Amino acid sequence: MIKTIAKPAEKKITGCGECRSTCQSACKTSCTVGNQSCERITREENPEKSAK
Amino acid sequence: MVHVFKYKEYNYIYDSGSGSLHECDDKTYDYLAYKLGESSAKPALSEAEITSIEGDLKALEDEGLLFKEEVKTHPAKSNEVKALCIHICHDCNLRCRYCFADEGAYHSAREFMSEETAKKAIDFLISNSGNRKVLEVDFFGGEPLMCLQTIKNVVAYARAEAAKVGKKFLFTTTTNALLLNDDAIEFFNAEMENVVLSLDGRKEVHDAIRKTVNGKGSFDYVIGNIKKFVKSRGDKHYYVRGTFTAKNLDFSKDVLFLADNGFDSISMEPVVTDIDDLAIKEEHLPAILKEYENLCDEYLARYERGEGFNFFHFNVDLEGGPCLSKRVSACGAGNEYFSVAPNGDIYPCHQFVGDKKFLMGNVYEGRLNSDIRSTFAENCLFTREKCGDCFAKFICSGGCSANNYHFEGDMNKPYGVTCAMMKKRIECGMHVYARKNALKNGVK
Repeated sequence: MIKTIAKPAEKKITGCGECRSTCQSACKTSCTVGNQSCERITREENPEKSAK
Repeated sequence: MVHVFKYKEYNYIYDSGSGSLHECDDKTYDYLAYKLGESSAKPALSEAEITSIEGDLKALEDEGLLFKEEVKTHPAKSNEVKALCIHICHDCNLRCRYCFADEGAYHSAREFMSEETAKKAIDFLISNSGNRKVLEVDFFGGEPLMCLQTIKNVVAYARAEAAKVGKKFLFTTTTNALLLNDDAIEFFNAEMENVVLSLDGRKEVHDAIRKTVNGKGSFDYVIGNIKKFVKSRGDKHYYVRGTFTAKNLDFSKDVLFLADNGFDSISMEPVVTDIDDLAIKEEHLPAILKEYENLCDEYLARYERGEGFNFFHFNVDLEGGPCLSKRVSACGAGNEYFSVAPNGDIYPCHQFVGDKKFLMGNVYEGRLNSDIRSTFAENCLFTREKCGDCFAKFICSGGCSANNYHFEGDMNKPYGVTCAMMKKRIECGMHVYARKNALKNGVK
């Protein structure tokens, strides 16, 4: 038995560069791109959280 | 590539080509682990069981969720600068033993950035940002709060200049919180998109390393300030960020201590140092990997009780994560992200500041060394040969160039100790993702 837990959302646009710089998140030493979310998807789902 | 791993009684299959995560039963796990060569134990399965498992695997493969070929897309070429780390001062009011920045001085004279130089850095960023609308600056040091008025003036200047050209700024400050008074708190809450506050956890752990200039532990001076700040922060971003060393391999206690003190956004990083008694070494890995599991278990138990908190390294966004272009280009240091020293010198990132081999220019010149920039721009996941057969590559992006360089002497050679910790954190993050999903769906 295999159950799919997660599969990446399809991205209409890639490489737009709108995501935040990884090194500005929290760590400054162990930056992990995969800890970030796509800025576009986040903004489209939560417009109120978009950059001011 | 396909990676199978166990977390206690749970079995997971991660397909790096599609980015999909699956959960499976023991028989499927044993069969796949043997088939992939991750286990030498041939499972005792009947012909019917094997046929059934192969059918399930084939169905996922047909859907593009398993054994999907990895795309080798190189990062999109761009000359746009999107972020700067402004070293507003190379001086600090603490003398932390593990400080990679030479206790704030960066192996040079203690100095403060002038307002004029900081504004030049802003001009440099805006004029090199191309079509990018949202720009980022983090104020770093040393201790940035030793220069609060300069930061205030620079933020006001940046906002005004950006508005003239239809751009916006997001600001971050990293601070040790020693000078985090009401004035600073009010300013941070008004202007900072994110604030990173350094606190290592338990008082005895923090005080053993993070000392004042007079040699006293700084915990009692900062804990109240950080609590007050967090209480005032509302739903805006912040991280209470600790560092663990070989002296506190039981660092899950420090993370939980921070959570118990009301901080709900926490990061805990392995120290980057060559100081012998503090450095993380290969011999420490078994204890550290176990500790991540301890933390993961308690993290989920608290989540289930409605007492959850955010731990940076367990955030693995499997559905809404970055696009492939971002995943292969990593942090962008030296190409779209730079650090500016107090005298205006530009380096690929804060961890290269002071190393003249990596000096790329100065904000007063406005030019960048194209050779160094090309080297960093071409650095990507696919230039790191060792990463080719690693399941984690599209999540960690080949690791931190600076760490690779400092530990292995080559930006394209990931440091094995860091890789082992990274892989464990990612597996924990995937387990967290799966269990949170199950709880949301009412499944224990």
